[in-house]
Amino acid sequence: MIIPVLFGVSVVIFFTLRVIPGDVAQTILGTSATEESLAALRNKFGLNMPLYEQYFTWMSGVLVGDFGVSMRTGAEILPEILSRFAITFELTILAAFISWIIAIPLGIIAGVKRNTKTDFSVRIISLLGVSVPNFALATILILVLSLSFNYSPPVGYVGFFEDPVKNLQILFLPAFVLGTGMAGAVMRMTRSSILEILRQDFIRTVRAKGVRERVVIFNHAFKNALIPILTIIGMQIGVLLGGTVIIEQIFSLPGLGQMVLTGINQRDFTVVQGAILFIAFVFVLINLLVDLLYSYLDPRISYK
Amino acid sequence: MKNKKILLALFAITFMMLLVACGGSDDEGSSGETDTEKTEDTNTETEEGNEEESSGEQVLKIANDQEPAGLDPHITPAHSSVRVYSKIYSTLVRFDENMEITSDLAKEWDWKDDTTLVFQLREGVTFHNGDEVTAEDVIYSFERILDEETGSHIASYLGSIDSMEATDTYEVTFHLASPDATLLTNLTNSSAAIVNQAVVEENGDLQQVAVGTGPFKLEEWVPDNRVTLSKNEDYYVEGQPAVDKLEYYTMVEEASRLSAVRTGEVDMTTVTAQSAELLENEENVNVMDFQTLEYSYVGFDMNHEILSNQKVRQALSLATNREAIADIVWNGQATVSGPIAPSMGNWSIDVKEHDLYSNDLDQARQLLEEAGYGDGFEIEITAASTYADMIDTAQILQQQWAEIGVDASIKQVEWGEYIDIWSNTSADVLVGRNGSGSDPDRAMNYFFNSEGSANVWGYADEAYDEIVTNGKTTIDDEKRQEIYVEAQNHLLEQSPNLFLVSPKNYVAVRDSVENYQPYPHNAEYIVETTKK
Repeated sequence: MIIPVLFGVSVVIFFTLRVIPGDVAQTILGTSATEESLAALRNKFGLNMPLYEQYFTWMSGVLVGDFGVSMRTGAEILPEILSRFAITFELTILAAFISWIIAIPLGIIAGVKRNTKTDFSVRIISLLGVSVPNFALATILILVLSLSFNYSPPVGYVGFFEDPVKNLQILFLPAFVLGTGMAGAVMRMTRSSILEILRQDFIRTVRAKGVRERVVIFNHAFKNALIPILTIIGMQIGVLLGGTVIIEQIFSLPGLGQMVLTGINQRDFTVVQGAILFIAFVFVLINLLVDLLYSYLDPRISYK
Repeated sequence: MKNKKILLALFAITFMMLLVACGGSDDEGSSGETDTEKTEDTNTETEEGNEEESSGEQVLKIANDQEPAGLDPHITPAHSSVRVYSKIYSTLVRFDENMEITSDLAKEWDWKDDTTLVFQLREGVTFHNGDEVTAEDVIYSFERILDEETGSHIASYLGSIDSMEATDTYEVTFHLASPDATLLTNLTNSSAAIVNQAVVEENGDLQQVAVGTGPFKLEEWVPDNRVTLSKNEDYYVEGQPAVDKLEYYTMVEEASRLSAVRTGEVDMTTVTAQSAELLENEENVNVMDFQTLEYSYVGFDMNHEILSNQKVRQALSLATNREAIADIVWNGQATVSGPIAPSMGNWSIDVKEHDLYSNDLDQARQLLEEAGYGDGFEIEITAASTYADMIDTAQILQQQWAEIGVDASIKQVEWGEYIDIWSNTSADVLVGRNGSGSDPDRAMNYFFNSEGSANVWGYADEAYDEIVTNGKTTIDDEKRQEIYVEAQNHLLEQSPNLFLVSPKNYVAVRDSVENYQPYPHNAEYIVETTKK
């Protein structure tokens, strides 16, 4: 399935980019453009070749791992994608951790104590998490922190291995914003799947054996509830890897999302199509991983 | 058994995650607090700030709203790029603070006759890679600009150059095809940079590498994050630049830039008029403003059935209240402008006195009546959603024009599409902003001569063409001024565009920054800037 999906993505992104209004050469030169300079630029980027020819040139490169160079800066695209991806990946993992820490315990508690005050509070929190747009939360956090606490995250990104403390200082706020958004959905899913499992016969059997309630919930209920939770977590990680665009922009992080956005604004086709193809690849890969995890968690599921 | 082990492992992982995360968030909290205390107590901000002090290195940090689109001065007109490469490269001549032409790489220059210009270069100036600058480098640079293959945006400014010769190692003679009063001014443009042939040939272009002769050297460019420049120790102006390092941070979000300058994470940033107001009460931040060389305008498709009628365009001009646009869109911080922005000094006329700026609605209605549109008409205004001021301007025009029965709708487009629409004139009415350049020829000839490469409006008027061509070839400044007064009045009368207001720009500067002053023609004059 992976190959046809990626092929489809490559075709769609390639042709969509060329259909949207706005000519690369014209966008670069702006009001200073002359007919000659426009023609020269188009020629340089190979934009005067027929579309299918441009597509095949691009694809034959991609198949051997050559994503080409940026139309704007002439920089190699693949190394750029990989270094950007490292940032987005770290951000996503941090956000996911934060969301699990908030969501899973709260979700379990809400499920176990159904229809109590605790349950209602958790449900309200999760509803807020799902419904407050993360860009709004991000902007509010930045404003409050700078106005009331005179704090803003350090500028100038550094990698985790260069300076772990500064790196985490930079990434914590954006990861927190993304994490809370994610937590809402995970919390709801944890709660409902715990509820469902607790109603099943085998739980009654376990309880009848006199097993302590804590063991019932963690050993028996939670593990069986994990499958739907895992699905939603996998989906969300996939979405985050390609969808942290706004957060990366607000917090000035040079991740993959920012690369796509700058690429689109500058009409840098090669960068945008390369980055999006890569995101699609990662998304498909994560779905595959989640599928494999199912069979680990529930041996009844097998892929043969 | 097996189940238990898995569960144990799961527990262990969750527990570790909890530890890691709590640890992380605690750190965050406490470092936030200590930051606050530090700033309150001693006014030194970050750990890095302390390091800088101990090593005595002065680092000026500037936050920008856009990522540079490449660093090649000859092919990248984007403002976000210019602000960086203008620090790395030198030009033959430059503007001083009064917008008078002064020497840069060229020590002196001399007009032999109307079409021959000789430059004497400074001797012993080296590129950042150690190569010496000679007449050959100058010739190579301009040949690269003028070569069609290069696709240079600045080629249109230098079209009068016919040939160049190296009359000595440090002497270049320019032969012009026709007299060109704008040449020296155009040579001050940062894009008319002198580049190193070997570096161009080695790299294909200069988008990612930069080897110039300017006050700063390119140290590092981390895309979508920062550009670091370091001091050129061999710079030919004694004592410049005053800081050791210049760091540009790309921060697209205005709220992030405001927060960074407030807390001292950066030293300077550009802000909008609205944000400038927010920073007014901030103790450690000063907001400086300067009148730009830009003006906002409304462009008409001159081949449009209704808009091709001069009386209609005049009526729309009369219906436009420019003061209101300055008040609402720019918080009152803008000046009513004609085709040449008021900050161009003597070159621009006082448009406020012009009849068509009187906002006389009765006269406007009467003109529409005479044109045969007494009952008004429908029209579409296109504006770029990328710039809030353009959308605001469009909305105000919509209301103002409704007063004389013109029913306007607004179409918002993204920047790339906007540029497309602009170049194909596929909008009835287009709201935009132009730079009026540093020579009046730019504003008058380039945008409105029927042959002008940026005349997208379809405006063609022989009398006007003659006036502005005359302006370009007249060397005497006083005569030129008279010519451009005539040209401006002519253009206002014809109104192929309505010229609206010239806005101010704002720079928020920490009070630790000294000797910084923005100018209309150079918002980032920082070679003398120091930090306390």
